[in-house]
Amino acid sequence: MKAVFASMLPRYTSVALALATFAASTALAGEATYVELSVYPPAASLNHAADYQSVVAVAKRADGVSEDVTEQVEWSLDSEVAFLDGSILRPETNGHGILHAKLGELASQCDVTVTGVEVNKPISYRHDVIPVLVRAGCNSGACHGSARGKDGFRLSLFGFDPKGDYERLTREMTTRRINRALPDDSLLLVKAVGGVPHTGGKLFEHDTVYYEKLREWIESGVPNDLEGAPTVESVEFYPPRVVLEGAGTTQRFVAIANYSDGSTRDVTNLAVFSSNNDSVAKLDPSALATAGMRGEAFVMARFDTHTVGSQVIVLPEGLEYEAEMPPPVNYIDELVDSKLADLRLEPSVQSTDAEFLRRLYIDTIGMLPTPEEVEQFVADATPDKRAKKIDELLEREEFSQIWGMKWAELVLVRTENNRVDYKAMFLYSEWLKEQMETGVPLDKMFKELIGSSGSSFDDPAVNFYLVEQDTNKISENVAQSFLGIRMQCAQCHNHPFDRWTMDDYYGFTAFFTQISRKRGSDYRDWLVFNRGSGESKHPVTGQNVPPKFLGGEQPDTKGRDRREVVAEWVTSPENPWFAPSLANRVWAHFMGVGVVEPVDDFRVSNPPSNPELLDAIGTHLVDYKYDLRQLVRDICNSNAYQRSTVTNQSNETDTANFAHAQTRRMPAETLLDCICQVTQAPEKLPGLPVGSRAVEIADGRSSNYFLTTFGRARRDSVCACEVKSEPTLSQALHLLNGGTVHSKIAQGKLVRTMLDEGSTPEEVIDAIYLRCLARKPSDTEREKLLAAVGDGDKPVAELEDVFWAILNSREFLFNH
Amino acid sequence: MPHYQGLSRRSFLTVGSLAGLGLTLGDYLFLRQAQASESATALSEKAKSVIHIFMPGGMSAQESWDPKPNAPIEYRGELRAINTKIRGEQFSELLPQTAKVADKMTVIRSLTHGEAAHERGVHNMLTGYRPSPALVYPSMGSVVSHELGPRNNLPAYISVPNQFDPSAGTGYLSSSFAPFSLGAAPERNGFKVRDLNLPGGVDEVRYNRRRELLDLVNCDFNDRVAADNVGAMNTFYERAFDMVNSAEAREAFNLEAEDGKMRDRYGRNQAGARMLLARRLVEAGARFVTMTYGGWDHHNQITGNMRRLMPDFDRAYAALLSDLDERGLLDSTLVLVSSEFGRTPKINQDGGRDHWPKVFSVALAGGGVHRGSIVGSSGATATEPDDTPISPEDLATTVYHQLGINAEKELIAPGARPIEIVKGGQVRHEIVG
Repeated sequence: MKAVFASMLPRYTSVALALATFAASTALAGEATYVELSVYPPAASLNHAADYQSVVAVAKRADGVSEDVTEQVEWSLDSEVAFLDGSILRPETNGHGILHAKLGELASQCDVTVTGVEVNKPISYRHDVIPVLVRAGCNSGACHGSARGKDGFRLSLFGFDPKGDYERLTREMTTRRINRALPDDSLLLVKAVGGVPHTGGKLFEHDTVYYEKLREWIESGVPNDLEGAPTVESVEFYPPRVVLEGAGTTQRFVAIANYSDGSTRDVTNLAVFSSNNDSVAKLDPSALATAGMRGEAFVMARFDTHTVGSQVIVLPEGLEYEAEMPPPVNYIDELVDSKLADLRLEPSVQSTDAEFLRRLYIDTIGMLPTPEEVEQFVADATPDKRAKKIDELLEREEFSQIWGMKWAELVLVRTENNRVDYKAMFLYSEWLKEQMETGVPLDKMFKELIGSSGSSFDDPAVNFYLVEQDTNKISENVAQSFLGIRMQCAQCHNHPFDRWTMDDYYGFTAFFTQISRKRGSDYRDWLVFNRGSGESKHPVTGQNVPPKFLGGEQPDTKGRDRREVVAEWVTSPENPWFAPSLANRVWAHFMGVGVVEPVDDFRVSNPPSNPELLDAIGTHLVDYKYDLRQLVRDICNSNAYQRSTVTNQSNETDTANFAHAQTRRMPAETLLDCICQVTQAPEKLPGLPVGSRAVEIADGRSSNYFLTTFGRARRDSVCACEVKSEPTLSQALHLLNGGTVHSKIAQGKLVRTMLDEGSTPEEVIDAIYLRCLARKPSDTEREKLLAAVGDGDKPVAELEDVFWAILNSREFLFNH
Repeated sequence: MPHYQGLSRRSFLTVGSLAGLGLTLGDYLFLRQAQASESATALSEKAKSVIHIFMPGGMSAQESWDPKPNAPIEYRGELRAINTKIRGEQFSELLPQTAKVADKMTVIRSLTHGEAAHERGVHNMLTGYRPSPALVYPSMGSVVSHELGPRNNLPAYISVPNQFDPSAGTGYLSSSFAPFSLGAAPERNGFKVRDLNLPGGVDEVRYNRRRELLDLVNCDFNDRVAADNVGAMNTFYERAFDMVNSAEAREAFNLEAEDGKMRDRYGRNQAGARMLLARRLVEAGARFVTMTYGGWDHHNQITGNMRRLMPDFDRAYAALLSDLDERGLLDSTLVLVSSEFGRTPKINQDGGRDHWPKVFSVALAGGGVHRGSIVGSSGATATEPDDTPISPEDLATTVYHQLGINAEKELIAPGARPIEIVKGGQVRHEIVG
């Protein structure tokens, strides 16, 4: 029986505590022992007469559960600048003040700044009308935002073209769509309130702020303030994280926009809310979240082009939780364990030495340990033998080969007719492998690649610009490969689920518009160079867009190769995506699932399962000067990596928090290499001498039936989804009846040789197990297999069938 | 016995998709049971199988099912219209054989959706859902495989020759419900599905020994590890054994077994060979066979391209409908011909037509679909539905309905999210009885 104690300490303030043998009981839930009170927003600013700001108070209980206590706290304002109307702050006079919140012994506060009480803000097309159209869903893809509009009325999708929308609103169907003489007769309003038949139905009532704003705009003569209106710089969404207990529990949220003129605005009634998992937490239009079933959800607010989100964890009521956590090995465990404690998940036990060894070999060098290596390792009594083994494998040549291949998928190493000759492709692949072998830091390698110019033979990195020559695609590839960002949507309209706008897209594309290519002296060679001219054109405005970093500044590129400028930005330690996305790719390779998954889809609406962990592995990669091996060492040494794949009752459904190791089918190349290794029957692979490994195949276009069937990437796109590891019927059929397993067993003659040399069937079975599964058979298994083999003299066929069965077994096919 | 054998197909999925956090397995199974009984298909099946002929690229309706002979030339195009077996209704002149069997089919001329990009349109038409950045939906074939499972040892869902688009896959469902891809094109000489037959030197006795040994070796691992992908692999091995052990199942893939006259009737080309194979497969028990034919993204020279592609389709499709009918299989086999979208009302400056999801045509036959009927209209110029607009949701719901699947039923996506098979679709009685 583990010790159960009700923790009375503010657990979540210290990670360390969560790591100690740890337990909590929710028996005290009803008594509500609060340990922390927070008020959101932490600071409020009211900028004009009609401005307001709603506030929310959240109390955290000793067991980490949070409660919405906005109604329970005692609110008080220490000055006359504003007053509290329910939970809404409204301005009184200009000045500063503090809003105090008190709950028992706990206190918290919100700084209140009031300016411009004398100002009556005029209605704004940019800030009042467009948000209403977005909020009501008028310009969504299914309605008037569709490329051709709906029922004769078109708006730009999610408002990416406010100028065009203004024209269409005010100049089309004049006096009907908008009737300035009789605003209430405008179709814009009549349709929205369902006064006449509307395909989109009734969107809001007469007595709402939405109706009022649109009406006011029409009444004031449809002013257009697009020129010079302040822009939305950022949006905040509070509270940032809550843990709700019990279905039906609620928590209100507030959304606040920050404008370029320094003002802020409560946009809770204008933002569009959603949840990535409605069955766990649903967000209603007033930003009230309601807990559903146990789990994790990310609730989001979209306003203007910004999407922000908060994490909501829902726990069932009265959950008993006790977990024994081993002491953390490094920062990875601290952060993983802390999340597990939040979710009340118990981690699986540590893997056995044999399991660990097999997993480590497959992940780091794409091979299986030899029987000798297994026996030696298992017998070794050195306490830090796992760490030593990790160090040893990281120095193997095969480690570089694996990563050479993985980066080759990312930068499209493949032949392409008339663009990338075999020789150029081969040199490109060799270049990558060499970078890995000599331990070139990842930032240096990719910086060189992005900024590369020269001959495809002498400077093979330029092949990145030869294999793909479409400017838009190149810019999308750079964003996806090195930053994990998918920009594709923003080519035609503002990204509906991320922050990217068309301006961002064409601004980033502008870095790649000056690439030129010409044939080299060898007809197979191409030269890539900077032409120094060529611009990116915005399809809506028709204007040239100057180069601009994603979410960043417009650099001065005068007199420089724009790609060199963007290469510096992409690979700089300040880049918010480069290090985390690379670290996440490395993490996913070893853990089977990324902290952000898919690894190349970083966006607001696809948040990391553990933001602190993502941040930590990224920061460590930077601190290690982008040395891949150091990060791999941290990951492989962690408890998180070394857990068993066997689940317990609490973590059996978890796939995102690393509570147990993931069972993964071996990648195509590794599986083939391992089959060749254990059968001692080498494969003749396209373009390589007999005995080479499949991970060495340079060209994405080269494959064979086995590799294709098991999901080798063709490298047609940079998408991580090209490598497939899902099982299929064709795979099962091929292993059962196909050439690979059956012929290789015969070809390698392992069984025959052993029997010829005098081994007993029992010894042969043990050897096969050790080679393939890094363990000996259990007594039961051995006994049953021997019985099935029978007692014939030299049972070659029978034992080869045992070998066949093991190569077909799930324990062999999967990395576990 | 490995424990997975003790689980039903449904509960197997359940375990797999309990991803994220959530209920205990017990709760979950209870819930699923409750749900299963609630929607336990009170529907009676009319169709036993579906042949889905997909025309990738966006096939023009104006040059096939929905000619506009009275529209101005820039809308009408260069092709003429011919009468069909449906009184007063015409098809393009490129469909003479099909026109003669039009009394077996229903053509929807008012299909409509809003996705004008290929991959998005394909997703919409194959899954009944608009693409979402948060979730990948399963294709109709995978849902059918999940709901109905395999029959007569044949895979429930088969792609001829390969899964042609990511949207034709399992989406959020376990990969166990993925299509079986032939991996070889039936129109090729010497077409053979790989690895269906035992390797040389392995007789049935030896094969059975191998299988017994494999069970022995798998036992321990399968008892300990309950991962979704391991379960999927187990399922596929079971299916593979079933298929290899069944001569009938293997024979279904053998196009050579058809006599020469039948092969000529369908045409010895891509369309003919694929449709004939699809007929063999559903006859033998496959539930959902998806095949593709041609490439229909005709931004240029649409007349020439349609003249090149249509005749083989016409011959094969007419042969397929007649052949199924002669065999008494048409009433239990729903044949669906669709594409991701149609093409613009006007011919463009390159003599082609561009993408147009606003209105286009889909053809159905068999499986309880009305015989000899036209549903909806695309107006004078094929610009938008003139009446009876039909959405991809409606189409999918109707197809599911014919198979006895209630499209309102909820499946479980990762994170234990219940998701309706189709959201907001109607069974359209304009199409089925």
